[in-house]
Amino acid sequence: MTVVDRRPGPRPRTGPTRRTVSVSGRDVTVLRGGTGMALLYLHGLCDIHAVGPVDQWTPLLARLAASFDVLAPALPGYDASTGLEDFDDVEDYVWHLVDLCRELGLAEVAVVGNSLGGWFATELALRHPDLVARLVLLAPVGVHVRGVEVPPFFGAVAPRGIGGAGEARRLLFADPDGAVALGALPDVMTTEQQLLWFSGLAGAARLGWKAPHFQNRKLTERLGRVAVPALVVRGRDDLLVPEEAGRVWATMPGARLLEIPDAGHCLALEHPALADEVAGFLVGPD
Amino acid sequence: MPWPHLAAPREFLAANEAAWVTLSNANYDPALGKALYDRYISELVEAEELGLDGVVVNEHHQNAYGLMPSPNLVAAALTRETSRVKICVLGNALPLYNPPTRVAEEMAMLDVMSGGRLIAGLVVGGGPEYYSTNVNPTDARPRFREAVDLVIQAWTRPGPFAFDGEFYQLPYVNPWPRPLQQPHPPVWIPGLGSPSTITYCVEHGFGYMGVAYYAPPETFARQAVAYHEAVTASGRTFDPELLGWLTTVYVAETDEQAVEEAAPHLAYFQGTLAAGFVGPGKVWMPPGYIDPPALVQFLADLRGMVQGQRPPDAAAAVWKRSPLIGSPKTVRERLLTYVNELGLGTVLALLQFGSLPADLTARSTRLYATEVVPFVREHAEKHFAAKGWE
Repeated sequence: MTVVDRRPGPRPRTGPTRRTVSVSGRDVTVLRGGTGMALLYLHGLCDIHAVGPVDQWTPLLARLAASFDVLAPALPGYDASTGLEDFDDVEDYVWHLVDLCRELGLAEVAVVGNSLGGWFATELALRHPDLVARLVLLAPVGVHVRGVEVPPFFGAVAPRGIGGAGEARRLLFADPDGAVALGALPDVMTTEQQLLWFSGLAGAARLGWKAPHFQNRKLTERLGRVAVPALVVRGRDDLLVPEEAGRVWATMPGARLLEIPDAGHCLALEHPALADEVAGFLVGPD
Repeated sequence: MPWPHLAAPREFLAANEAAWVTLSNANYDPALGKALYDRYISELVEAEELGLDGVVVNEHHQNAYGLMPSPNLVAAALTRETSRVKICVLGNALPLYNPPTRVAEEMAMLDVMSGGRLIAGLVVGGGPEYYSTNVNPTDARPRFREAVDLVIQAWTRPGPFAFDGEFYQLPYVNPWPRPLQQPHPPVWIPGLGSPSTITYCVEHGFGYMGVAYYAPPETFARQAVAYHEAVTASGRTFDPELLGWLTTVYVAETDEQAVEEAAPHLAYFQGTLAAGFVGPGKVWMPPGYIDPPALVQFLADLRGMVQGQRPPDAAAAVWKRSPLIGSPKTVRERLLTYVNELGLGTVLALLQFGSLPADLTARSTRLYATEVVPFVREHAEKHFAAKGWE
């Protein structure tokens, strides 16, 4: 009899390595580490490349790196990735990801997209199913259900004269006063943290600003064409991805919807043990 | 054109995060609003009667700070209520208009209606405006500059012509009417000291109006020095009229009286009405509107300013931060310093600010217009002529 140890494994001793990849003349910051099958991780609004600590895996990514070769590029505008001004629409992001995959030698790759990254991962899978072997969407934005109000993200994250990222934490985290939330979005940020966060917000706003924030109106009707096996994970307390949006995501023919209790939009930060679920799906049977 | 009926800063900020974007318009009382428009427009008309050179109106949206979402409407009224003064619209926020030829049209109307008295202010629009209109802030600046180019072409190129820009594509640009002033009305642009804005103004022959309501006066002095350097670098001749200072002015019989009378209304202006882009609460500064390093610096300065405000030093702080608040003699001397040392040629005096009531506004405006301006104007004309500046 084999005993499977389901406890989270130890973090790899070495963190990711940072390098800059040139894609169509634009710099893309890529963090890479771990061993195993390649995994393309597209980050979220409040995630690696957006909040510190810089150049370290988040606990979720550290766990994934134990069994995957994790490649985590910074989306345009985030971290040191350049060329944001060239991105006008979803097509620009899709072609950017196509070029990036080619540059990184990725095809038929497992793609994990968190939040904003989940949106772009889906747009990629929709147009280039050959590039995406399996799709994991963690708290994906991108789908808007008319009549279901979502609090305006960019108003909640507007800076304050004197400290206080409380409004942003309450929007994004199930436990806004917990160590994870306070670590990601502290009331007083260092200059380095502010630069990373504000750069990322500009990256997010490039396509996400149009109200209601973060949506492609056409995506809902197109999701029926996403045939790759997909796992969609939604936090029950996610204020940015309401229950109705979760149901829309579940209309992808190959999708399974997993709802997590006590989880908000930043479930990837607050629930790193999800890595087991993600890994199990990526290596499991169809 | 402020809404003066909110609470003083401490009380206001205890209950509200800002006077912009989200402060409910249930706070606006249209009956009081009618009286306010009557009063503020009368004050602008009075400025002509007192001999000032021009009047200025500005554009803001969804806020208690400025009640002119369309300054052009007030300017249109002024074309009929005045006959001599320049009418400066400072300005229209070009990225908020699509297509921005709308601005070219309305400003041409104002120029023709006023008999060629328009000064055309063109602005990017404040941070809060991007939240209020949902216009994308991440390309606000390149969009603005292209829109300026389009507006100038619309005024100067015989139509119809096609405009094929990055942001705006129009097959037929051919606005009727055209402006009366040729080749086009003077263009002024307000700025907070960004080197690229200063260079842009100099290279295009636009006026640069330094805004310094919320910063110490040396901030404007730095902007003026940078302006001169840009003029020298461009090989152009300095034109004092194109270097302006937008600042609060209050004149009373003595310095002490001026500070004492102005202080609570300045505090309301800076503490209550400006809450939303400066101050301890929410700062409606959208992502990508300025570069991240500039935003970090802006917030650091802001915290320094907010934390530096100690109530016991209020009078001294007013004095230090608003040098044009004082007796006629003091304000004259200080203005002369700016004229002599910085070549300041245009003063956009904010004579009504915050909750400053009608009687104090009228008295201060009269003192400024009769006991400060003629003296400074005469001196400046001689000084500029001696320098060879026209």
